[in-house]
Amino acid sequence: MRIASYDDGKTGIVASDDTVVDITGILKQYDPLGPEDALPDLITHIDELRDKLDELAATGGSMPLANVRLHSPLARPTKIVCLIGNYREGTDRPMQILDIFFKSPEGVIGDGDTVTLPPHEASIFHHEAELAIVIGTESKDVRDDEAMDAIFGYTIFNDVSARGTGRQGIASFLGKSFDTFAAFGPWIVTPDEVPDPYDLRVTVKVDGELRQDYSTSDMERPIRELISYISSVTTLHPGDVICCGTNHQGLGAMQHGDSVTTAISGIGAFTIHVDDPQRRRWERGVDQEMAQRVRAMAQQPAQDGATR
Amino acid sequence: MRLALSADNRVGVLKNGGFIDVSEAFSDIRYRGAADRMPRVIGALAKRRERIEESAATGALEHGVALQAPVPRPPKLIAAFGNYFEGVQRDRLAQDMFLESPDSVIGPGGTVVLPRHPATIFHHEAELALVIGARSRDLPADERALESVAGYTCAIDVSGRGIGRMSPSRIGKSFDTFTPLGPAIVTTDGVADPQNLRVTLSVNGDLRQDYSTSDMEYGVIEILAFISGHMTLVPGDVLLCGTNHQGLGPLQDGDNVSMTIEGIGTIEVDVRDDLRRQWSREIDREMGDRVRGTAGR
Repeated sequence: MRIASYDDGKTGIVASDDTVVDITGILKQYDPLGPEDALPDLITHIDELRDKLDELAATGGSMPLANVRLHSPLARPTKIVCLIGNYREGTDRPMQILDIFFKSPEGVIGDGDTVTLPPHEASIFHHEAELAIVIGTESKDVRDDEAMDAIFGYTIFNDVSARGTGRQGIASFLGKSFDTFAAFGPWIVTPDEVPDPYDLRVTVKVDGELRQDYSTSDMERPIRELISYISSVTTLHPGDVICCGTNHQGLGAMQHGDSVTTAISGIGAFTIHVDDPQRRRWERGVDQEMAQRVRAMAQQPAQDGATR
Repeated sequence: MRLALSADNRVGVLKNGGFIDVSEAFSDIRYRGAADRMPRVIGALAKRRERIEESAATGALEHGVALQAPVPRPPKLIAAFGNYFEGVQRDRLAQDMFLESPDSVIGPGGTVVLPRHPATIFHHEAELALVIGARSRDLPADERALESVAGYTCAIDVSGRGIGRMSPSRIGKSFDTFTPLGPAIVTTDGVADPQNLRVTLSVNGDLRQDYSTSDMEYGVIEILAFISGHMTLVPGDVLLCGTNHQGLGPLQDGDNVSMTIEGIGTIEVDVRDDLRRQWSREIDREMGDRVRGTAGR
């Protein structure tokens, strides 16, 4: 099942015939305080809704997908948790220590929306295409073998990243939390439609030119470990989003006027536009220096975290 | 005014040594739970001052009311790196902040539960916290920035060291229960100068941290301008202004921790560690020296 947010605060099922079935009315029974509650309500009550929604998905509706304006499926996730690294990227190094950072949920945009580059003096703004998980059930200290049950669905995330801002020498992650830097969509796909999450092709095209192109089979730690680990740190809630990390081979600049399409096979694709009031310019194409740097970093033995 | 939230979910003000229920002043605000209620209440605070004060003037004074954090789950929890000179003569370091899990918050009387993760140590970091009162972005670096602030409170940024891949460890600050917050939000009119507050933290009665917010590298106004230049701030967001590392020490099973900011309040929490790990019960001088050395380079 594909679940989308669209038009003016509507929630819908995207049926197999690519029509959209409006289910906003069905979700009113949960007394939403605003349209932003619709998806979290659907996620929380999916067990009682599933039969009805499956039926609607099979029947289809009268509104063609092409005629609706999609939005990010969740307007503001309660948390956006991102994995640091998590792809082997052609290296044969030992597994790295797991680590995460949090991305501002104020940064969410969706299909057809625009990333606005801030005036900050970044060395570059990169796209990072990632497979993302939407959490379905409150989860704390879940075991590896239970972890997949916590998943409500999958979506496609572009973790837009400003490089070279903030304090140097400490791996600053604030450059990933600018407003409009958390692009995801076009919908959430339930796990029954993703038989093997480690056999997905992730791509980014900028103005039609292929940049990132990798398989989730290269993921260093499997999803069950990610969920288990993160839930050993912080309680996960329905609607929290976990980004599984990116493969840095293929990152490139996002700059004014670009159209960036992020796609994952079997899930879908969405396109965002880039606005830079400063009109800065970077070389087009893949950032090879970045790709090499990540491979070189990956060849070094994992460091124990220092104590500061 | 000191806005507080009782353990049984009543909004109140702390006054004359007790708690006065002012929930009535917010009765029209719809919410689903404590997590989404307080951001709505805090966002409505400025426009309802008179009504709240009327309610507080006539309400019954209750003693011994158990409190929870005044924002049990902030929409965002954002912390400053370092941010104190700590006695080192140097230029200011580049300003930077990071997001912590908003699910790490606990309130007065709560218990910090140390996770099984193999940290080298778990430190207390007493910090001045700002609670955002109005949706805002690109705030100017002058007094106008303070208009976006609902008030101030105390925070302990509990920090597990050596966890994860990054140094300094940030994931080590996001464990559930690792951000004691409270006891109340003291509105900005109740704090004459946020850059002249004494911050103290004691463990089992022994003084550990004792510093003044006058030593901050980037003051409250610059923190607001900086972070709102990155991301939109929303009511209930909590900004931690950084700590002075001279006086950090371990937290371990059975500890009672008391943190005070002069004019703002005192929050006490307990510590539990099912693994009963032990560290020397004293100030971590090596940590203090290392921070001074690193910053002084």
